[in-house]
Amino acid sequence: MKLSKKVVLLGHFGVGKTSLFRRFVDNEFSEEYKVTLGVQIKKKVVELPDGRELSMIIWDTEGHSDSVEDTRKSYLLGSHAFIYVFDITREETYKNLNEELEYLQKNYTKVAAKVIGNKLDLVNEKETTAYLEAQNIPFDCLTSAKTNKNVQDFFSDLAKEITS
Amino acid sequence: MKNYHEPLQFHQKTQVTSVSFEGLIIDTDASLFDWKKGDSIYDIHPFFEILSSFIEDHNGGSESYNFPCIHFEHGDDERICDVSIQIDKDISIILFDYTLKYSDLNLIAQQKNESILLSKELELKNKYLQEKEAFKNSFIANINHEIRTPLTSILGFVEVLEKTNLSFEQEELTRIIKRESKHLNSLIDDMIDISKIESGTLKVVEERFSFHTLIKGFEESYTKISEEKGLVFETKIDDNIQEYVIGDRTRVYQVLNNLLNNAFKFTEEGSVTFSISKNYQRTNKLNLNFKIEDSGFGILEENIPHLFERFTRFNHDKQISGTGLGLAIVKDLVDLLNGEIKVSSTPDKGTAFNIKLPFKFEVTKNTTQERKKKKYTLPKTKRKFRILVVEDEEITQFLIMKILISKGTFFVDIALNSEEAISYIERRTYDLVLMDLSLSKTDGFQTTHMIRKNYGDPYISEVPIIGFSGKASETARDKCLRSGMDDFIAKPFEQEELLYKITKQIAKKAAD
Repeated sequence: MKLSKKVVLLGHFGVGKTSLFRRFVDNEFSEEYKVTLGVQIKKKVVELPDGRELSMIIWDTEGHSDSVEDTRKSYLLGSHAFIYVFDITREETYKNLNEELEYLQKNYTKVAAKVIGNKLDLVNEKETTAYLEAQNIPFDCLTSAKTNKNVQDFFSDLAKEITS
Repeated sequence: MKNYHEPLQFHQKTQVTSVSFEGLIIDTDASLFDWKKGDSIYDIHPFFEILSSFIEDHNGGSESYNFPCIHFEHGDDERICDVSIQIDKDISIILFDYTLKYSDLNLIAQQKNESILLSKELELKNKYLQEKEAFKNSFIANINHEIRTPLTSILGFVEVLEKTNLSFEQEELTRIIKRESKHLNSLIDDMIDISKIESGTLKVVEERFSFHTLIKGFEESYTKISEEKGLVFETKIDDNIQEYVIGDRTRVYQVLNNLLNNAFKFTEEGSVTFSISKNYQRTNKLNLNFKIEDSGFGILEENIPHLFERFTRFNHDKQISGTGLGLAIVKDLVDLLNGEIKVSSTPDKGTAFNIKLPFKFEVTKNTTQERKKKKYTLPKTKRKFRILVVEDEEITQFLIMKILISKGTFFVDIALNSEEAISYIERRTYDLVLMDLSLSKTDGFQTTHMIRKNYGDPYISEVPIIGFSGKASETARDKCLRSGMDDFIAKPFEQEELLYKITKQIAKKAAD
C-alpha cells in the first residue's frame, strides 16, 4: 500500500520555509527572497529504514506576520505533521513560540508538531543553542537551508516518527 | 510602473472535474489544465493527495472544502487557483484561476515583506557595528593602559637619569628618549580621545579657570620654541576679555595647543601669530575668536576639504612627526564645544585657522583673585616619612623608590599585593600609602576599603592613601575618592606632581 503523509510548514514570513522546502525536495537554494502567497505543494519520496517508501507531501504555506492562527484552516486539514519554522536572527519570529505550539497542540491533537530554528549559517551554533535554551524557546533542530546543515537529517527523522 | 490604486482585473477562468472515490477522473472540461478522463487525480498534482483523507473520513453525507491560492505548475509557468472540493456521490473539483489577481497581490506582499526584512537586516548590521565599535573602544582603552605602565617607567627613569652626572652625549641621548617618550604619550592621548569621541563618552566639563593664565602658558612655551626655530611669535589678546571664564579648560587647551603646535611644526621661517578677540558678550555668555596664523608651507586648495579627516597627512617629510589625528581631534573637540573652525591657506605663504568658541563668565563674583595652586611643605621633623608603596610591577616600584629615596626625606616599603600591604600596615605606622588600583586578586579599592573599615587604630584606618593607575580619567579619580582614598595620580606621573601630592597629603594629615 502506498504510504503518504502530509507535512505543513508554518511560521512567520521570511524565516526560510520555502528555502527549507526547496532544499529538502529539490536540493536547491536561492539567496533571493520571494514571498509565498497561499500554498505551494511538492512531493518527495523518502526511503524508510525498513525499506518502505514514504511520499512526504510538503505544504509550504504563506508566512504569517503575527500568529499561526492567521493561517488558513483548510491548509491544515488532514495533516500528519506541522513544522513550525522560526528565524534564529529575528526574535519576533519565536518570541511567542510557546503560545503558538500550545494552540497547535490543543487544536490538532493527533498531529506531530516540530520546531526548526533556521538560518544557522548566520550565527554561532553553540551560543545560539545556549541562548534559546536560556530563553526557554523550545526547538527540535537548528538548520541552515543555505548550507543544508541538518535539513536532510531532520526530515528523515520526521519521516520515521510519523510512520512509526 | 503598476498603479496599485487601479481595481484588480481578475479574468477568472474555471475548470470543473468529476472524480471517482478511487481517484480516477470521470469527466473534465480541460479549460485550464489538459487532464484526461481515466487519469488518476493523485498523479496529477500532490495537492490532490488530500482527497484520500477526505474519502477516508467520508460518512456518506455531502461535504465541501475550499482551498484558496493553490499553486499548480503549468508547463514552465504556474497557475494560482482557488480550489473547491465537493464530496457527495462522487467528487467534484472546481478550479478558479486567479493567477492575475494573486500575482498582483504577490507583488504588494513582496514589497511589504522585503521592506520589513530589510529594516531588520539593517538593524542587525547596526547592532553588529555597534558591538564592533564597543570592542574597539575597549581594546584601545586596555591597550593604552598596558602601554602607559612601561611608559611611566621610561619617563620616570629618564627624569632620574637627567639628575645624574652625564656626559654631553649621554645628555643628548636622554633628551631624545624623553622627547620621543612624550611624543608616544601624546599619541596615546590622541588615540584615547578619538575612541572617546567615537563612543560618545567624551563629556564637556564646565569649570572656572584663568583664561589669561592659559594664554600666558602658551606664550611662554611657544616663545621658547620660536627662539629655537628662529621664528617670530606674536600674541595679541583683547584686554577686555575676562580674567576668569567658565568652559572646558582641558579641551580648549588641547584645541589651541594642537593648532599652535602645527603652526610651528610647518613653519620654517617668518612668524606665527596668535590673536584672541571678543566675538560677542551677552549676559553671562561670551564668544571668543581665536586666530592662529603662520607663514609656513601652506595647504593646497584641493587638500583643504580633507584637512580634518583622520589619518590625513599632506606633508610627507619624515622629519615632521605626526599621526594625522591631531586636526581630526581638533575638529571633533570644537564641535563638541559648540564652536566653529575655519581654515584658509595659500601654498608657500601660510595658513590661518579661525576658531570661535563659546564660554560663560561669572557676572557677580570678583574675578580678580586667581585661585593659585596651594603650596604645601612637609611638617618639620627630624624623622623620615615612611611611605608604603603597594605595587606588583617591579619597574614602577623601582621608579617610585628612586624618586622618593633621592629626596632624602622618605623611607619606602614595598608591598607586592593586598595581603602584604595589610601585613605591613599592621606592623608599622605609615605616613602615606601609594596604592596601585589594579593589583591582582584583591585590587587597590578593596584593599583601601579593608584599611578604612577593619581597624579601630586611627594610625591605620586614617592613613592618607593615594591611588595610582594607567587609566587616567575623571572616573578613576572619582572612584578613588569614593572608595576612601585621599587623592589619585595618573600614570605616567611627573616626579614633581608625585612629590606635590605626597607632600600635600602628609601636610594635611599633620594639620588635622
